[in-house]
Amino acid sequence: MKHVMLFTIDTLRRDVLGLYGNKQGYTPFLDSLAPDSVVFTRAHSVAPYTQASFPGILSSSYIFDTPRSPKLSEKRTLVSEALKSASGAGSVTTAAFHSNPYLSGYFGWNRGWDSFYDSMQDDVDDMSPYIKGDMLNGKVDQWLETVDTGRPLFLWVHYMDVHEPYVPQRRYVERVDASVNLTPEQMYGLFKDTILPRDVSDRSKVDLLRKLYQAHVCEVDEYARQLFGVLDKHGVLADSTVIVTTDHGEEFAEHGGLSHDGKMYSELVHVPQLIVNPPEGTGTICDNLVSGLDFSPPVLQLFGMNSHASFQGTSLFPLSEYPKQGVYGEAIGKLAHKVKDTDRPSYFYREGSLKVIYRQEEDRWELFDLEQDPREKENLIASSPHAESMKAQLQPRINRETL
Amino acid sequence: MTRIELSKDRVGELEQKISKSKEVFQQAFERFDSKDTRLIWSGGKDSTLTLWICRQLCKETGIELPKAFTIDEGDAFEEIDTFLHKYADQWNVRLEWGRNDDVLKAAERQLKAEVKVADLNERNQAEIKRIGFDLEVFPFEAESYVGNHLMKTVVFNTYLEANSVKAVFQGLRWDEQAARAQDPYVEDIEAGDLTPGHSRFRPILHFSERDVWDTTRYFGIPYCSLYETGYRSLGAKTTSSKMGDQPAWEQDLENTEERAGRRQDKEKTMERLRQLGYM
Repeated sequence: MKHVMLFTIDTLRRDVLGLYGNKQGYTPFLDSLAPDSVVFTRAHSVAPYTQASFPGILSSSYIFDTPRSPKLSEKRTLVSEALKSASGAGSVTTAAFHSNPYLSGYFGWNRGWDSFYDSMQDDVDDMSPYIKGDMLNGKVDQWLETVDTGRPLFLWVHYMDVHEPYVPQRRYVERVDASVNLTPEQMYGLFKDTILPRDVSDRSKVDLLRKLYQAHVCEVDEYARQLFGVLDKHGVLADSTVIVTTDHGEEFAEHGGLSHDGKMYSELVHVPQLIVNPPEGTGTICDNLVSGLDFSPPVLQLFGMNSHASFQGTSLFPLSEYPKQGVYGEAIGKLAHKVKDTDRPSYFYREGSLKVIYRQEEDRWELFDLEQDPREKENLIASSPHAESMKAQLQPRINRETL
Repeated sequence: MTRIELSKDRVGELEQKISKSKEVFQQAFERFDSKDTRLIWSGGKDSTLTLWICRQLCKETGIELPKAFTIDEGDAFEEIDTFLHKYADQWNVRLEWGRNDDVLKAAERQLKAEVKVADLNERNQAEIKRIGFDLEVFPFEAESYVGNHLMKTVVFNTYLEANSVKAVFQGLRWDEQAARAQDPYVEDIEAGDLTPGHSRFRPILHFSERDVWDTTRYFGIPYCSLYETGYRSLGAKTTSSKMGDQPAWEQDLENTEERAGRRQDKEKTMERLRQLGYM
């Protein structure tokens, strides 16, 4: 394959996708990619929210590898920068199209891109405070008209459409549940009054929010279809390896909250991931434990380059040589964005079916057996014979943060 | 200003676009008396083209030329001021200025000055609360989040209310920025707590940046001298910068962002984060 594309959908839960067993048919297009892809069943993001997760995706590093700062540290190397430095004279053309303020030029994410669009100059409204996927597709279309597609391209597209506030259009709501009859103002009211305070006391509101979220998933699936259509129109799709994933999931009261804060449970960190037109494994399902650090190394590899010295992850390929023993994650362990309850870290480590979580704020350890207890309800830390060995895996990471 | 030459086909295209714009004006004048409308004229290329088309139509139909309205946000280019005064005179345009004197006074017209919310009048304080800003001071910058709201949105709403304006003409374009790509030609804005109800007409939505320059330079429509020096998009003085040393129309209009010279400032990014539920 000549080109590589990284297609990330912010806040996308794994269990809304048909290809992971959801029967509701929200994502016919994404599901249709499976036969041309290797589908990863046990992919994990390195953190439950954008600022901590994207350093993993785009610079193969963890959040606490550099001192805390809202801006991307100069010590990190973005995959775009690695491509530009490795390829000399710019033989790979790099471009990014997204609308996430945390990944904006202001925060330093514009390094290494020949074209970088973060939409921060554009006007948006409160009910959908980002540039929608179909408009980003338009930008990609325009860009492809101007670049030399005979040369290798690295394209990153990131959608915001399933991120709250959830104010989906009527036709998408109807695909989820036609009996939901809310005005946009009422939907936005749920954002203000229920999501922002993380109020899960009324289960019917949580259910309603989940449906509105799912409606946005239906919408995103249409935009994804369009995007692949744009790539095809310009004759680059057949020559592209496309990595599809997210930066984190979304919580609907599984562990007492909403949205995505600093928790390490599966609804937030066990993520969808597929690679369309992979170098091997087309049409297969891969059960390897996969880390959210391992995107940038394979991108370089797919362009025939060596990995970058600053990257901590490894390539996914060849798949048979990627038996990661375990995967890690770390982030600031806030339980809600609105409440400054803690700025101390939380961590997880998963190995086999076991997952250990440590929250520094409460000095609290949890251990779950995800095969027996996929919803992570029963803490085995006091009873499991594996508790100590699992804790030992996380110990070296705790307090290593350089402040 | 030297006029450019264009192919016959191209001129035909531009003329078609101009007549489409005139249709939008016609629609407006069918619904509203010209006296109750205003043309928003910032002195930039787009609103100047809008005004030029409106003048043509008014001459052809005998409709009275609407008054124009411009906002002094306290951080304007002198070149734009000069341009507005000169062509308001030459074209017999009744140009009215709006400004938020209360904020300008509190900031003593000094950019970056810290404005204490408590020093502002009731309306401005209510407006700050309305946009969810809860600090006690903010820096005076026209294009910051609070600044933009107080210096432009509030001035605009207050003016509409005080003058019973029922419709405005805006020189917005679909290709100017992605957020505009689906704007309609006519939008009726419902009255809100602090917003008077009115209609917005956008006659030149279908003009690309290239179309604007071709039309302007073919028909000899005046433009502000800053475009000659490399500006592509004119906002507040301190937050707009040149995108090159060649005149705007000689730059790569098709492959670069028209508004890239507008500063990407912290406030704008922070505002997006707030809208997404962070902060």
